[in-house]
Amino acid sequence: MRIFSRLRFRTKLNLGITAIVVGMAVILLPFVGNMTASALIKENKQRGSALAESLAVRAVDPLLSQDYLRLRNMVDETGDVGDVVYAFIQNRHGRVLTHTFHKGFPSDLIEANHVKKDNRVRIQLLDTGTDRIYDFAAPVIVADERIGTVRIGLSKARINMTINQLTTTLAGLFGGVLFLVTALGTVFARTVTKRLGTLREHAEEMVKGNLDSTSASPPAVHCWEAMNCEMTDCPAYKDTRRRCWYLAGTQCEYHGRKNRDDDTDSCHNCQVFQQNVGDEIQDLAETFDLMALTLKNHIQELREAESNLTHQQSLMGTVLDVNPDRVSMVDTRMIYQAANRAFAMSVGVPAAKIPGATDFKLFPEDEAESRNLEAREVLRTGRRVDRQERMENEDGEEQWFHVVQIPVRDDKGLITGLLRTDRDITDIKVYEEQLIQAQKMESVGKLAGGVAHEINTPLGIILGYAQLLQDDVEQNSQIHKDLATIEKQTKVCRKIVADLLGFSRQTESAKREMCFNNSVMEAASLVKHAFSLDKVTILSDLDDRFPIIYGDPEKLKQVWINLLNNAKDAFAEEGGTIMLRTRLDTPKGIVSLQVADTGSGIPSANLKKIFDPFFSTKSVGKGTGLGLSVSFGIIEDHMGTIEASSPVPDVFSFPQLPDMPPPGPGTVFTVRLPLDHCPVDQPADPKNME
Amino acid sequence: MQLIRFATIALSLFAVLLLGACSQEDSVVHVDMKKRARVTASKPAKSITYAYLPQYSHTISFKRHRKLLEYLRNETGLPLRQIFPDTFDEHIKMVERGEIDISYTNPLIYIRLAELGSRAFARIIEPSGNPDFRGQIIVRRDNPLIKSLKDCRGKRWIAVDPGSAGGYLFPMGLFMENGLSLSDFDEVAFAPGPGGKQEKVVLAVNAGAYDLGTIRKGTLDIVRNKTDLDQIRVLAETRSYPGWVYSARKGLDPAIVDRIARAMFRLSMADQREADILRTAGVRGIISAQDADYNPVRQLADRLGMGTGDK
Repeated sequence: MRIFSRLRFRTKLNLGITAIVVGMAVILLPFVGNMTASALIKENKQRGSALAESLAVRAVDPLLSQDYLRLRNMVDETGDVGDVVYAFIQNRHGRVLTHTFHKGFPSDLIEANHVKKDNRVRIQLLDTGTDRIYDFAAPVIVADERIGTVRIGLSKARINMTINQLTTTLAGLFGGVLFLVTALGTVFARTVTKRLGTLREHAEEMVKGNLDSTSASPPAVHCWEAMNCEMTDCPAYKDTRRRCWYLAGTQCEYHGRKNRDDDTDSCHNCQVFQQNVGDEIQDLAETFDLMALTLKNHIQELREAESNLTHQQSLMGTVLDVNPDRVSMVDTRMIYQAANRAFAMSVGVPAAKIPGATDFKLFPEDEAESRNLEAREVLRTGRRVDRQERMENEDGEEQWFHVVQIPVRDDKGLITGLLRTDRDITDIKVYEEQLIQAQKMESVGKLAGGVAHEINTPLGIILGYAQLLQDDVEQNSQIHKDLATIEKQTKVCRKIVADLLGFSRQTESAKREMCFNNSVMEAASLVKHAFSLDKVTILSDLDDRFPIIYGDPEKLKQVWINLLNNAKDAFAEEGGTIMLRTRLDTPKGIVSLQVADTGSGIPSANLKKIFDPFFSTKSVGKGTGLGLSVSFGIIEDHMGTIEASSPVPDVFSFPQLPDMPPPGPGTVFTVRLPLDHCPVDQPADPKNME
Repeated sequence: MQLIRFATIALSLFAVLLLGACSQEDSVVHVDMKKRARVTASKPAKSITYAYLPQYSHTISFKRHRKLLEYLRNETGLPLRQIFPDTFDEHIKMVERGEIDISYTNPLIYIRLAELGSRAFARIIEPSGNPDFRGQIIVRRDNPLIKSLKDCRGKRWIAVDPGSAGGYLFPMGLFMENGLSLSDFDEVAFAPGPGGKQEKVVLAVNAGAYDLGTIRKGTLDIVRNKTDLDQIRVLAETRSYPGWVYSARKGLDPAIVDRIARAMFRLSMADQREADILRTAGVRGIISAQDADYNPVRQLADRLGMGTGDK
């Protein structure tokens, strides 16, 4: 069957036709042969019967007259007939009167066939060993009296020979018919397969993507020509590729009877249809062409849709990928369907490989287990999950995430999946902590301010009485020294109280326009001498445009001195260099001061805390831990910013002075103040800048 | 599955066709053709032979006289056997050779047999009831040229046999009376072949092969089934002569002749069975006859030159 299915269609057709003819020959030849044989035998029997009866009738007279010569002549004449093997005549007693045998009469013959008087003729098949003979016995009757019997033998060999000849002729005839039919079949098959071949080539062209080729012959007449139609807006008008009856919405007179698009019955009486319609292969070719055309249109539409979809997908992908949140979607079997780039990066797997994966493939087992359980719960209950989760990244750093899990439902409301979003809120958490800290500090400040205000008066009394008592006691006495110690420590206390008051802004600020450079240089000159004693050199690099700012000169001076003191405290006993740099950034409306030192620098962990009140790395008694906090407060009051960084960037080139120790990593404090009253992040009004 | 079903149907059809095509073979009898025997003619049993002058075919002769012979055999106890000479001449010769004991002949043949020593002992009564019979001259009904006997001159004539009384001798006498001799006819022919001569004349005239024919009266009734008698017209009839006669050959035991004659004379139309025998033989009865009864015939024959020794 496989070999047959591989044969060419033309060969199959030929084989089919040949098989039919051969089958007919095989079925009909024996049938026809047998029928012919029996007909021939029947005919032969009739002929033999006729011969015997004729002889019986003719033998009456010679029998009656006992004219044996005439009888002999009669049997001889009969014996001369082609296939007559013998003839003989018996008298009423069965005695053989005359016969055609030479050299005696075969005595067995007499008993071989007996005919009754009432029968016209009796036929008996004889077997002589070498031949078969039909023996015909006819009674010679006259006046209802039997006067003898006529016997004739017809050879069956001759009949057989005739049958063989006939069968051979029939077989030859069938052979000729087979040849003729095969030849005609080949021509027919070629005609059919040629058209099928055209169709196949067309199909191959279609497979290759060429949808413009046609397989059907062009129509014999065009409908608009045949019908003298000038309806240019009819879809069939000037359409040379498609048959008009395949088109919907044509406007010819038959169109009114077209109920459906595929109802072409109404067109069957149209002369255009009758002139253009072909056979089934033609129909197939036309349908094929129409299909190709429709397919082409569909493909065009599909391409447009695909392009549109790709664009949408790309947009969607971009939107999802630029989203810093980790977005992922799983189906009800907990298999990932989609994920964005942030999610992929978080699990360390390319985004393209995520669809099809499970939690257990993407996460450590414990985490995957917990995610899975939670997700299944959401899928089961359909309730949204909205919570914050703390995690640690691979560096051991703490990270906070806002996790939202929403069930995805289809248009019937059935849950088909789960959308999970993990938003990184670590920074928010930090800000939150800072806010709490700030609120705490504010409370502490207010408390300290209140306490300081209350303590200030007793301190003044303590200081006054201590000074008064010193006058009352002898100088250099122990009491005087003790009172001097009380006075000194009370002053320290008063300084602390003053600082506390400043920090809690309970002191009045008096802001006015002032020169930024002068303010800086004033503070520097105040400490310059004292610093030089400790081998600390102050260098300045001031903007020569002398920016003017709006601020409180005293408080700012306090800030500068705080920063300078802070810098000096960073040096060991060998001293170092402090660099002051002011810069005016006119476009941004900012003026900045940078105080850089070559000191020991600040560890990055401490950088965040240095502005906290009471934070100090200095030994007890050397600092209150309020200097930078107070400075922070003052700068904030001036709508400015203050920050610290360590080590010092390379842009600061400290000159190597003699007798100076090698510079440390150093720290740089940067203070930015707006030129105008507006906040730092808003550009200054150009008018005010001038 | 479909292929298997198709193959099964095709095979069944083929088998049915083959079965239908097969013919029943005839039963066979085995014969040894090499076993040969010589065929010898049996000597006929001693019998008294009876012959009817072959004016009709042997079959008709047999049919007519079978019952009569059966009757005679039963009545006389004699082994009577009918034999069939082919021609009138042969009949005469067979009588002469003693092969025919009892002859049933026409008067003309009788006068010849009488010359050979045969003696008449019985004669028949014609179906008409008359012991005499006549000859008839027939033409085609549509023949416009022959209206009377005289019109026969120059025409083609077919007669039964030169030895026929009713079919040749009596009409010849009539023609002579009307002035016509043999030489006046364009052609004179006799019916060919053995037996059935009367019928052949009628058929020949009917076929137009001859213009006129001569037959004994009564023949037309016999050939009624063989030809269309409407086409035949009887032109003339001869005078009547004594009819057919039974004669015994010379030397036959007179006692035997007597026994046969008696049995014949006993036959009567009154008896149903005997009437059937007589009717079959084409007679109404058989009566005694003498040789002298046939003198008129002898005279006519002599007059026509057809007497003793002449045909």
